[in-house]
Amino acid sequence: MYDLLIIGGGPSGVAAGVYAARKKIKAALIAESFGGQSYVSADIQNWIGTKSISGLDLAKTFEEHLRAQEDIEIIDGDVVVKIEDKGESFSIETKNGKTLESKYLLICSGSHRRHLNIPGEAEHEGRGVVYCSICDAPLFRNKEVAVIGGGNAGLEAVVDLLPYATKITLIIRSDRMKGDAVTQEKIKADPKVEIMYEIDTKEVLGEKMVSGIKYLDKKTNEEKELAVQGVFVEIGAVPNSDIVKDLVNLNELKEVVVDHKTEQTSHPRIWAVGDVSDVLYKQNNVSAGDAVKAVLNIYDRLVKGL
Amino acid sequence: MSQVVIYSTPTCVYCKAAKEYFTQNKVAYTEHNVAEDEKALEEMQTKSGQFGVPVIDIDGNIIVGFDKSAIAKLLKLS
Repeated sequence: MYDLLIIGGGPSGVAAGVYAARKKIKAALIAESFGGQSYVSADIQNWIGTKSISGLDLAKTFEEHLRAQEDIEIIDGDVVVKIEDKGESFSIETKNGKTLESKYLLICSGSHRRHLNIPGEAEHEGRGVVYCSICDAPLFRNKEVAVIGGGNAGLEAVVDLLPYATKITLIIRSDRMKGDAVTQEKIKADPKVEIMYEIDTKEVLGEKMVSGIKYLDKKTNEEKELAVQGVFVEIGAVPNSDIVKDLVNLNELKEVVVDHKTEQTSHPRIWAVGDVSDVLYKQNNVSAGDAVKAVLNIYDRLVKGL
Repeated sequence: MSQVVIYSTPTCVYCKAAKEYFTQNKVAYTEHNVAEDEKALEEMQTKSGQFGVPVIDIDGNIIVGFDKSAIAKLLKLS
């Protein structure tokens, strides 16, 4: 039985792991992989102490730092599928069939990409529907594509596509763009880019591969089709809070509600940190810092019974 | 020895991670940059039915994405 099980291998999970080990808490960390959502970033320039680092290298430094600690058990390549509250402790089942017991839990499970959840989307994933624009933009050379989402991620997908696609339609649900002003100007100035506002995407069309989308123009209330070979979905993230949804309070965004002084959830033996929590700013540095707060609070509870 | 082919783009992090994994485990591989090589892109699509990278071909077994455990199994790595 552990005193603490840390769930997740992003900046919050790893920061928690390092602090838990240094505090000699009897702890384990379970993670499918390391690095968190920044893994796919080509260049991270705001990780404090590091002028520039790729997501892949950042993930490596996380893993190295964690593995350099002696006093923590690391279970990688595995995920938690079920948590049962036994009263004094939790029983945790993993995908690979392990059963773990822990007194306290620290949830650092992050978030995953939001899908449109419309007909045709799942069937065409990897067949024209794309969730990693930096990975797959080069495949759309001389093709026409739609990018769904008017935030920073949507604008960046447009920028990723500019050298390749012949036409890019940026589809925005509201009446304005939300991303960085500099990127906005860049894409507005490019003749290849068309921007459509107040659009609800209704369906991804196509037989084997994507051939278009069906959408509702909310300005005229007309349903129309747009012929495209690619649909880049960039509409934000959903917290990975499903595993604790019956144990702790979630808000309407499915984020775990925490006390921001201690990171404790509504459950007295569960803490949560980072993108899975209702922290206002989803940032690597914030996640790491908040994880430290959580571990110190857990430590206080363990040694002082606070 | 297994025949390993990876279809990739230069900007794809999962492709990079997969290649590093091959190198670490001393697995020789052939790489096709499908951002430049249209014939390879077609070949990738025919083999996998997929339009997304990486696609990895190990002795005719197709793996979509950097699925470490599937790769390890096929290459009999620990």
